[in-house]
Amino acid sequence: MSFNQENLNYRIKEFPRSLNLLGWGLLALGVLLIVVSFFVDRTRSSFNILVSFMFLMSIGLGSLFLVALEYVAGAVWSTPIRRVSEFFSTILFVIPLLAIPLYFSMHEIFHWSHTEIVRQEPALSSKSPYLNVPFFVIRTLVCFAVWLLFYLLIVRNSEKQDKLKDQALTTRNIRFSAIFMPVFAITITLAAVDWMMSLEPHWFSTIFGVYYFAGTILAALASATIAVVFFIKRGYFTNLREDHLYSLGALLFAFVNFWAYIAFSQYLLIWYANLPEETTWFLLRWQGSWKIVSIALIVIHFVIPYFGLLSQPSKMNPGRLLFMSVWILFAHLFDLYWLIMPTFSRRGVVLGWMEFAFPIAAVGIVIILFTLKAKNTNIVPIGDPKLQRGLDFRL
Amino acid sequence: MSIDYSKEFSVIEGKPTLAEINDLIARPTETRPDRGYYIALTITLSMLLIGIVCLGLTFYYGIGMWGNNQPVGWGFGIVNFVFWVGIGHAGTLISAILFLFRQKWRNGIARFSEGMTIFAVMTAGIFPLIHVGRPWLAAYLFPYPNEHGIWVNFISPLVWDVFAVSTYLTVSLIFWYVGLIPDLASLRDRTTGKIKKLIYSVFSLGWRHSNRHWHHYEMVYLVLAGFATPLVLSVHTIVSFDFAVSVLPGWHSTIFPPYFVAGAVFSGFAMVQNVLIVVRKIFHYEHIITIDTLEKMNKIILLTGSMVGYSYGMEFFIAWYSGNPVEQFVFINRAFGPYAWAYWIMVTCNVISPQLFWFKKIRRTIPVMFVIGVFVNVGMWFERFVIVVSSLSRDFLPSSWRYFTPTPVDLGILLGSFGFFFTWILLFIKTLPVVSIAEIKGVIEGSQIEHHAAEDSTSFRPRQQEGM
Repeated sequence: MSFNQENLNYRIKEFPRSLNLLGWGLLALGVLLIVVSFFVDRTRSSFNILVSFMFLMSIGLGSLFLVALEYVAGAVWSTPIRRVSEFFSTILFVIPLLAIPLYFSMHEIFHWSHTEIVRQEPALSSKSPYLNVPFFVIRTLVCFAVWLLFYLLIVRNSEKQDKLKDQALTTRNIRFSAIFMPVFAITITLAAVDWMMSLEPHWFSTIFGVYYFAGTILAALASATIAVVFFIKRGYFTNLREDHLYSLGALLFAFVNFWAYIAFSQYLLIWYANLPEETTWFLLRWQGSWKIVSIALIVIHFVIPYFGLLSQPSKMNPGRLLFMSVWILFAHLFDLYWLIMPTFSRRGVVLGWMEFAFPIAAVGIVIILFTLKAKNTNIVPIGDPKLQRGLDFRL
Repeated sequence: MSIDYSKEFSVIEGKPTLAEINDLIARPTETRPDRGYYIALTITLSMLLIGIVCLGLTFYYGIGMWGNNQPVGWGFGIVNFVFWVGIGHAGTLISAILFLFRQKWRNGIARFSEGMTIFAVMTAGIFPLIHVGRPWLAAYLFPYPNEHGIWVNFISPLVWDVFAVSTYLTVSLIFWYVGLIPDLASLRDRTTGKIKKLIYSVFSLGWRHSNRHWHHYEMVYLVLAGFATPLVLSVHTIVSFDFAVSVLPGWHSTIFPPYFVAGAVFSGFAMVQNVLIVVRKIFHYEHIITIDTLEKMNKIILLTGSMVGYSYGMEFFIAWYSGNPVEQFVFINRAFGPYAWAYWIMVTCNVISPQLFWFKKIRRTIPVMFVIGVFVNVGMWFERFVIVVSSLSRDFLPSSWRYFTPTPVDLGILLGSFGFFFTWILLFIKTLPVVSIAEIKGVIEGSQIEHHAAEDSTSFRPRQQEGM
């Protein structure tokens, strides 16, 4: 029996009420805690917002990249699950909103935003043509706008195809996606430099954009895998096979290694050359209890996912894959925490209820946006000409 | 122009029979070489001879025959080494990574690029040996307990290079040979010459094309592909460490590892594309190495070329952003100093010329893509020249600045390396099947099993919905 049109016309999918409740509940709890935390410690809250903001950006932007990548590469196996990544990329709509509190607390977060201090320090004043508040705001807003533009261009065509079944829409999307690739490379680098590298304005590393990219793709792949397994368990993706899950697992495994490769390259080169202008960044993460976090990062972000995904069965078993995906998503959050929070607390680790409040709200936002979008859209791109080939995909 | 995305297109044009494939691919190994072949061989051997003479001069008079001078201690020796190791990168990428990514179009080009990898790494291996000045002492680079008590310095990237390159060569060689076994058996069964039969029999290891043989073969191939994949990254990463672990501005940059890997794949693909354009014409493989395959290769050249361009941009930006005046000077000096000519050749060839591949028409026009491929390799050679020479010639002490000019011996050795490489290529294409017979048979239309999605037991279909 093939996947014909009758059993594909399911626009409305019943999601368990508990999922919706969970999303709103997490968001409400998170927001409540956030409001309290802003009264308790404004600076710490601002840094925490940045961590969750980057986390959401990773999932949203990475998912849009995965959608574009499928079009450019002409991939077939991922067509039945492409909608999942399209749903996640709706996060890009809330990114500008979440940036608003960050714009208002720039003085707390970014050392370089204090013009009086910058003027006295030659190393910083030489950067001020780039690192200044107006240019920063313009740059980041342009990035948000560009991402939303490409979201609208690509995802709208994809949804239009459900009704029109027009192959020309695929051709058009391939073009948009190809143009998106260099745009994505530049904007994600700017985002990484602006929001995270400039936290330590003296420090610089040419690989930093690639480092954030590696984490972004992991976050997007992990989110997609979680949603796919959820849909399979609900019985929505009846025609998916282990072969599709295997492909997702293999990509996760590949990017776990890619992240480790990039992180190791950055660390080794800075350690080996031992230049004080570069080593400060790692020394800060070796200070006091940050040392434990640094070592834990290697275990959490590389060792455990590496062995957890190495064998073939672990990439095919939905339960195990789900566990590893949740783990990797957490690892990415942990990575962002390691990248951002040492600037706030130089002496040692800071970890309290506040550090959990913001990610709770972030997870709530992801669940709500995903269910809202998935409720009103086909969860399989039924008009896509590659769909049948994707369902027939076999390793 | 409209494409039907709902159908999978065969990577082979037409529907050749299995026998036709056998005949076509085995023919070059079974016919006598023609005049053109001898002419080509004469040219490459002459180039090789020039190289050997120049090497002889170097050994007799010493490295003073080269253009290396006081600040520029790394001249053509290292430039050529990195260039040739880079060329050798496409092979494993095509045969291992594209295999793991299930790209069927790789089947037509994998064998040749694997062979090319081995020859390129062999060529590259010459340069560190002669660069150290005393090639007869090179064996001490391997850490073994010798009677002189000489032990290697394990934190030197030069030693890492020895391990990385020799591992790469070994695994590439095994990968290439394992892939050849079924084809050698096919040749064995066809050949009439006694000596040939003996050679093919020995090297085909008693292959009988049995189901069991294939079963083991596929497993070995998959495992080897898994082993070879990290090697694609590791070799050029470690070559990049030769530069990046130093504290020299212009060399010490954290993006070097992925940037070098992208550049290596870039130049390797350009070389494979160039040679295969010639090979497919001479041997009439146009329907096996199709224009679609070439187009896909050009897309990868565009991708990796843009990655290289990104790295150039990032290095320039961070040099400014760092606020470090020495770092800034090095990059301004590269673009506008005495080596500006080399720098702009590099940028034009590496960053600008592949951007033409955004246009489908150019991706599918053979003469144009051939020229771009040549440009890419010229550009990548100059990239290594710019990195090595421009950073060294103006170091921290302005009084010791000196301009590097290559001597005729330098150029002769470079020419000789091309002669060495292409001599091996010529010998290869006439003695072994340059396209994998077995893998091509696997991608002919109709050779794949048809799948029916819903009947599959592994699909996640709940039992009660069976009747849907």
